[in-house]
Amino acid sequence: MIWEMTVQWFVDQWAVNFLDPDKRLFWGYLLSALVIALVWLVVIQRQHPRAGLKALFSKSVWCSKSARADYLIFTLNSILMSAVVPRLLGSAAVAYLLFELLHDAFGGRAMIAHEMPSWVIAASFTFTFFLLDDLMRYVVHRMMHHIPFLWAFHKVHHSATSLNPLTVLRTHPVEGVIFVLRGAIVQGFCIATFVFFFGSGVSLLMIMGANVFKFSFNALGSNLRHSEIPIQYWPWLEKLFLSPAQHQIHHSIDPRHYDKNFGVTLAVWDVLFWSHCHSESNQKLKYGVYSQTSQFQNKHSIVSLYIDPLREAFSILLRRKTRQTSI
Amino acid sequence: MKRQQLILAITALSLTFGASAAENVYGPFPITVKGYSGDKTDSTSYTGQVARQVLHTSLKKLAAKGDGSNADAVRADMMAYYSGKDAGRAIVDPKTKDSFIVEQTDVDQLSKGKDLRGKTYKGIISGWPGNMTGQEVIDFMIEKAAASKSGFDPLTGFNYPQLISKFAMGAVFYNQAVDNYLDEGLTADNKPNNAAYKEGAHYTGKEHVWDEAFGYFGAPVHAMSLDAKQAYNIAKKKDLSVADYNKDGKIDLVKEMTFGHAYYAADADKSGTDYLHTITKAFIDGRKLISSANGELLSDAQRNELMAHASTIKVNWEKVIAEATFKYAGSVYKDIQKLNVIVESGGDANEAFNDYAKHWGEMKGFAMALEAGGKNLGETDAKLNRLIGFGPALLGGGQVTSIDSDGNYVVGGDMDMGNYSVHMIKLQKLLADAYDLKALKNDATAELAGLVESLGESASAEND
Repeated sequence: MIWEMTVQWFVDQWAVNFLDPDKRLFWGYLLSALVIALVWLVVIQRQHPRAGLKALFSKSVWCSKSARADYLIFTLNSILMSAVVPRLLGSAAVAYLLFELLHDAFGGRAMIAHEMPSWVIAASFTFTFFLLDDLMRYVVHRMMHHIPFLWAFHKVHHSATSLNPLTVLRTHPVEGVIFVLRGAIVQGFCIATFVFFFGSGVSLLMIMGANVFKFSFNALGSNLRHSEIPIQYWPWLEKLFLSPAQHQIHHSIDPRHYDKNFGVTLAVWDVLFWSHCHSESNQKLKYGVYSQTSQFQNKHSIVSLYIDPLREAFSILLRRKTRQTSI
Repeated sequence: MKRQQLILAITALSLTFGASAAENVYGPFPITVKGYSGDKTDSTSYTGQVARQVLHTSLKKLAAKGDGSNADAVRADMMAYYSGKDAGRAIVDPKTKDSFIVEQTDVDQLSKGKDLRGKTYKGIISGWPGNMTGQEVIDFMIEKAAASKSGFDPLTGFNYPQLISKFAMGAVFYNQAVDNYLDEGLTADNKPNNAAYKEGAHYTGKEHVWDEAFGYFGAPVHAMSLDAKQAYNIAKKKDLSVADYNKDGKIDLVKEMTFGHAYYAADADKSGTDYLHTITKAFIDGRKLISSANGELLSDAQRNELMAHASTIKVNWEKVIAEATFKYAGSVYKDIQKLNVIVESGGDANEAFNDYAKHWGEMKGFAMALEAGGKNLGETDAKLNRLIGFGPALLGGGQVTSIDSDGNYVVGGDMDMGNYSVHMIKLQKLLADAYDLKALKNDATAELAGLVESLGESASAEND
């Protein structure tokens, strides 16, 4: 019984990350990233295929202390998040609440353009959701860097000294909760407003059960953002979409790269809000957190990565309270 | 020899299957009452309840007979079926329709001297203005229906055939079944199983009490072998071959018809629930249990088991009524959207308003039926009544707020249809949560749930 439950949990919470096309680490996306990286190394970088494969499966990346911490955090978070997420505000609750508030605000249902072809409504909904979700990811990400209380948690992600696709889930659980809430608010908002104004025609354009934009982003190598393969785009394209190399710059400890490239899919937010940075040819970057104050007591130790941020966040709150009292 | 063995095996097999099919039918059940010397062989008896089922369906039809000038005649006809007990009353509905031949044409063919009013809930119904009892509410509605055209009052939006029908189903059938037969009727001292229900009766006290509750539910005896759509279609007089259990080419209203709440259970079940079978199965199992006592007093263990079946029936029956209320709240919500479009485009809103009022009447009738179950619904009832109000929101704003001393409706308040549609959303949520509903027909927020599922809950700690 316990064994069955363990296996069930493993499939539902852990393995699902590699099996569900709605997840970044879906095996198909990992495979496409591998192919893209190999083509880039062989065709653009003129490396021998064997050398390319060696670079892709480098022991120093996949077996590093940093990577081992990634794997452990990924597994521990799977347990923690499965217990916490069901108790959090979900997108359904946000959507229902907002749907009611919209009725109140407009004195009933204010349907507009309900005779519009359903594919137009579906395409509009899918695109709006993608756009708003990407923008909110940018905004929250920027806040995670600029607000000391939030940085205390986000620096767990930045403490990775080598990047591999699983680094995407190197996240402090508190930050994970913030992401869940962000997702719920964005989803709930889009769902409620579109259904309220457009009625029954609203649907999501999907490929293999995943949002068409999310699928495209992931199929086109999103997993290379967290890798040591600095794939660049043409400069004009890097102003529209963030290349893997640009996200690697975001992880760089070089002070020139601080607070750059907060975006996820689109680079336009970084361009609009002055945080954009182009990638550099043959960029050689060091990753991690540079400043002394941001260091963990015990680098890549799980206990330190989980506990230090809590301690730091608490002391930030305490200092703030003390300051307020003295004023 | 081998051939004989084969025939024996086939016979045994067919008997086994025959027996198992009959196991899922409500009756016939053996005579168990001690000392019975009559010629009856089946102790099942609920013809009085079926007579009331047809009094109800007939009353609903008669409620739409007014033309504005024949109030006295319509009132008299309606009262004949509501409070009268006279012989010679024809069954107004259900009647033979095309190939769907109904065996009985008069109420007396089912049971003599039956009325609805005597069995109507006598507690206060707070969902209706005027602090009236269930009986008084129907008296009042009949008066108003008789004076209206086709049972509809455009000034208040009241559709009396629907209001009377749905409320009467609750105030008579649901109340009698769950608050009487399956409640006091099951106590040890009341209607004991070791005596005839009344002198000379061929059934015991407990057998008849249980049968009466089944009769009020309104399921055909072979409901367990029907799917939701088949049971639903019988009430619509659509499929004689499915309804005609004994294959005599006509429909016996006692055993082969789907009435009242069984029809609404089937309606909900078309959306995936299993209320009709759950309730019918509990009735069959309970009745078998009583029969198995063989005319002796039920032991405590037997009575506890019977109470468990009764509880299953009560809980699911209440859900059926709540599901119907939920469904019509969704219809009212949709009707308001339609009305908005028509009004904005300057079109004729009469037909759409009639639909709106019809659905509102069904919703209100069912909501009031919930109050007639005899149990304290507490905060749910208060919220239900506040959200629905005493009348539908009217096109020009306002709704019925009370009844004056002359029995006239008072329309007031500032409720407009837009805000009323919000009430319908809240009402559906309240019902779904309070009664743990599953069919959820006409869910005004179904599109939200569908999209939430498409997008998937954002449950990962994926970083950027």
